[in-house]
Amino acid sequence: MTASLFIHDQEFKLHASGAAYWVQQSMLLIADVHFGKVTHFRKYGAAVPLKASEENFQKLRDITEAFNPATICFLGDLFHSKKNNEWKNFEAWARDTSTTVILVSGNHDVIPPYLYEALGLTVVDALHIDSFLLTHHPTEHETLFNICGHIHPGIRLQGGGRQSVRLACFYKREGQFILPAFGTFTGKHIMNPQQEDIIFAIAEGQVVCVSNNP
Amino acid sequence: MNELIHIAETWFQQQGWKPFPFQKKTWKAFLKGKHGLLNAPTGSGKTYSLWIPIVLQYIKDNPNYRTKKSPGIKAIWITPLRALSVEIQQAAQRFADELDTGLTVGIRTGDTPQSERAKQKKNMPDLLITTPESLMLLLASKGYAKTFATLKAIVVDEWHELLGSKRGVQMELALSRFKTVCPQLRIWGISATIGNLEEAQDVLLGMDHSFRENAVLIKSKNKRKTIVKSIIPKKMETFPWRGHLGLHLLDEIVPILKKSKTTLIFTNTRGQCEIWFQKLLARYPELAGEIAMHHGSISKDTRLWVEQAIRNESLTAVVATSSLDLGVDFAPVETIIQIGGPKGIAKFLQRAGRSNHRPGEASVIYFLPTHALELVEASALKRAVQEDVVEDRIPYLLSFDVLIQYLITLAVSDGFFPKEIYKEIKTTFCFQGITDEQWQWCLNFITMGSQSLQAYDEYRKVTVSTHGLYKVESRQIAMMHRLSIGTIVSDAMLLVKYVSGGFIGTIEEWFIGKMKPGDTFVFAGRTLELVRLRNMQAQVRGAKKTSTNVVSFMGGRLPLSSQMSKILREELNSVSITTENKGEDWSFKSQELKALQPIFERQRRESVVPAADQFLIESFKTREGYHCIFYPFEGRFVHEAMSGLLAYRISLLSPITFSLAYNDYGFELLSDRPLDIQQMIDNNLFATDYLFEDLQKSLNATELARRKFRDIAVISGMVFQGYPNKAIKTKHLQSNAQLLFDVFRDYEPHNLLYLQAFRETFEHQLEEGRLRQALERINAQTIVWKPCQKPTPFSFPIITDRLREKLSSEKLADRIKRMTLQLEK
Repeated sequence: MTASLFIHDQEFKLHASGAAYWVQQSMLLIADVHFGKVTHFRKYGAAVPLKASEENFQKLRDITEAFNPATICFLGDLFHSKKNNEWKNFEAWARDTSTTVILVSGNHDVIPPYLYEALGLTVVDALHIDSFLLTHHPTEHETLFNICGHIHPGIRLQGGGRQSVRLACFYKREGQFILPAFGTFTGKHIMNPQQEDIIFAIAEGQVVCVSNNP
Repeated sequence: MNELIHIAETWFQQQGWKPFPFQKKTWKAFLKGKHGLLNAPTGSGKTYSLWIPIVLQYIKDNPNYRTKKSPGIKAIWITPLRALSVEIQQAAQRFADELDTGLTVGIRTGDTPQSERAKQKKNMPDLLITTPESLMLLLASKGYAKTFATLKAIVVDEWHELLGSKRGVQMELALSRFKTVCPQLRIWGISATIGNLEEAQDVLLGMDHSFRENAVLIKSKNKRKTIVKSIIPKKMETFPWRGHLGLHLLDEIVPILKKSKTTLIFTNTRGQCEIWFQKLLARYPELAGEIAMHHGSISKDTRLWVEQAIRNESLTAVVATSSLDLGVDFAPVETIIQIGGPKGIAKFLQRAGRSNHRPGEASVIYFLPTHALELVEASALKRAVQEDVVEDRIPYLLSFDVLIQYLITLAVSDGFFPKEIYKEIKTTFCFQGITDEQWQWCLNFITMGSQSLQAYDEYRKVTVSTHGLYKVESRQIAMMHRLSIGTIVSDAMLLVKYVSGGFIGTIEEWFIGKMKPGDTFVFAGRTLELVRLRNMQAQVRGAKKTSTNVVSFMGGRLPLSSQMSKILREELNSVSITTENKGEDWSFKSQELKALQPIFERQRRESVVPAADQFLIESFKTREGYHCIFYPFEGRFVHEAMSGLLAYRISLLSPITFSLAYNDYGFELLSDRPLDIQQMIDNNLFATDYLFEDLQKSLNATELARRKFRDIAVISGMVFQGYPNKAIKTKHLQSNAQLLFDVFRDYEPHNLLYLQAFRETFEHQLEEGRLRQALERINAQTIVWKPCQKPTPFSFPIITDRLREKLSSEKLADRIKRMTLQLEK
């Protein structure tokens, strides 16, 4: 289910759900959940199955249980749209959880911070921990290593017999680590990998290193 | 009635014309109150066969018609292409005016300005010429029942074009409503020759007896003779074995162009059209100004200009796609050139018919092969034309996406009561088999967005009033629906505009998406430089440097029809017979087959040319992997299905991954590991048992269904394509059909729209019926397996095909261990 990635002597356990667990900090990193997207579509007449939204919450409960982290840090785009009924589900989840929850806010996060704060969340634009900078948008920093989301990275693999697949992936490049989108109703953006990049693809519940460098 | 007919005959005489027997027959049938289908080719005076009796009926009903005009719309004329509407309007108006009837003829299409539309709404013209989409929009406007109460006739022109498409289903549904709203309605269709004319009539008139029993099918006897000439390469040795452009023979067409007034050069895709135009100009600069290009992505103004220029005889040649297949007659066109296989006989004949409209004279069409084996196709086409073989158009059944769109349309205008509408739609051909459960499913879908009411759900679309009226209350949802009715289902299209203003055409997003500002490309005959992408617009300027990056478009590959593939097989088998029984005597073969002699000889040397009772399998290894090629000669769609089926069945024997390729002649299973072909033959993998189940399980079917789902998602209103030319933000509502397909697969696999994608795949794409027949045929043949040293002439066009499917029975994680990343160069 997981694979380990080491950055600056820190261990990150990469989970097939798209979340990454930062072992030394006991912090669960989750990017681009896009809660509320299903309901937003339904509100405008597109009948996306509601189950896709329920599954998002289920995934979140499962992963929290699996790692039992001290902190959960959402790397932006936690909520897709303005408040809608999925907010109620999120409220219920936030009240239930005993974990510290931080939201690094992203471009989709239009819900005002005080509503999150009322639920006990901390909302920040960026989070600085040791030599790491956690943001939503990929950010270049002179000294700090950036962990971010936003891109919904995916990768295209080619094999003999002209085979080809596209998979969501964890993507590490120089000075930067990009998480895949956690949400069930999200697309992916296919990356153009460089020789030195490190890539872990999510394939049917497994996390597999597909780059030349482990 | 004779008096009335006399009026028309007199008018014909005044023009110096004489009505054809089929025209008079149609006039009489209409005046007797009949419905029907008229089978007449383009350019045969079909407009007057139905417009005249509509006017005569008006004269009869209103004896004082010269002094007192009766208000309200009298007739609707449906045309599949807006480009045709102007010609029809002119012809119709002319007759109405010269008889002093005071009847007016109006056009309403996507091009009609808003002011004109508003005027029409207040005061409809007597004859309205419109498209199926615009008709749907009229049903989406308030009080439509009152507007159309006076309607006496609906004529559906080019019905064969609409029949095999979802626009045909739109028409069926609209007609079912009009039958109720307009008690005096007569329904007529006009169709070119197709194999299933009787069925076409049934689909048009629907299942209710009152219409069927009072209907006639009238066939015009005006048959035009067609002469097919192949352009045969002078040196077969250097003619390519593969390819689809045909540029090798570019020089051969110039003498043909010079001999005739205007020549239409038909290509099969827009991309091919662009390239031919470019290359013709590059090689023959003196043609500048004398040749033009016409395809569906070029701006309407340019297209109209080209059409006018053809009429003025100011052009030597026009390179075109199917955008010029239909419609108006261009008298100066003397010659047609078809580049590459047209894949169907009806299409080929239709194109041939665009030339030489002088009665009694034959149409001439040249066939230019793009690769060697296409000469067999040419030979087969000739025979098909001689023997009068034409294809069927298969109507859609149970298209729930169109039904959902239609129900919301009715809910947007005046609302509807399900009981009344259910009765109507059950009389359509498309929905004759709908069950009560399926109907209820559709109603639930549009009102609740699911099959049961769910807590905290905010789904909004159609609401049900206390007395049971289904209605859309939200103005925004109504507006979004109206906008989506007209959207052409295709890849996301971007407008191409000059920075300084000026619209050039539309281009598919994937093509422009891979370009950076400053990159150049060739489009609409111009070299352009991309300046920026903004709001679904590609802003460009003229480029100074030249570019080889010619714009290309997805899709557009047509499969061989079953009728064509049968004749094609017979042509090929005749070669096998020749070589076996008659020695090297080729003298009685067609010139196309004779030209192919060296290639057939090579094929025989390296493998075999299969006879009628043989089924050929070839295997060989190249740098790319282990190839295994099968030759059913059944057309692309059947091969697509059969390759998936076979790959699936082989993959059950042991874990393996294939990439599949197919063309009209055969298909390939390519693997990174060798394949045990004897084992495959021993296991009887061509059996027809469990065909449907196996097909459904093959990953291939899922991939195809995923593609079908795109149309379904757009038509049913699941994907909103945005406001045209408006900068209103819809970003939060953008998704793609791919994503929706996955969500349905994972969370709502019984959704009727999701299942429809699979059904369409089996019925229209994989052609399950044809596949079964093909398998039965193969089972009666002897399998001939030839292990070869290298690719054979027959295999070459298949193995070089880049459009591929895949099928695997291996674990994904195992597979990707053998794969590599494509690194950026």
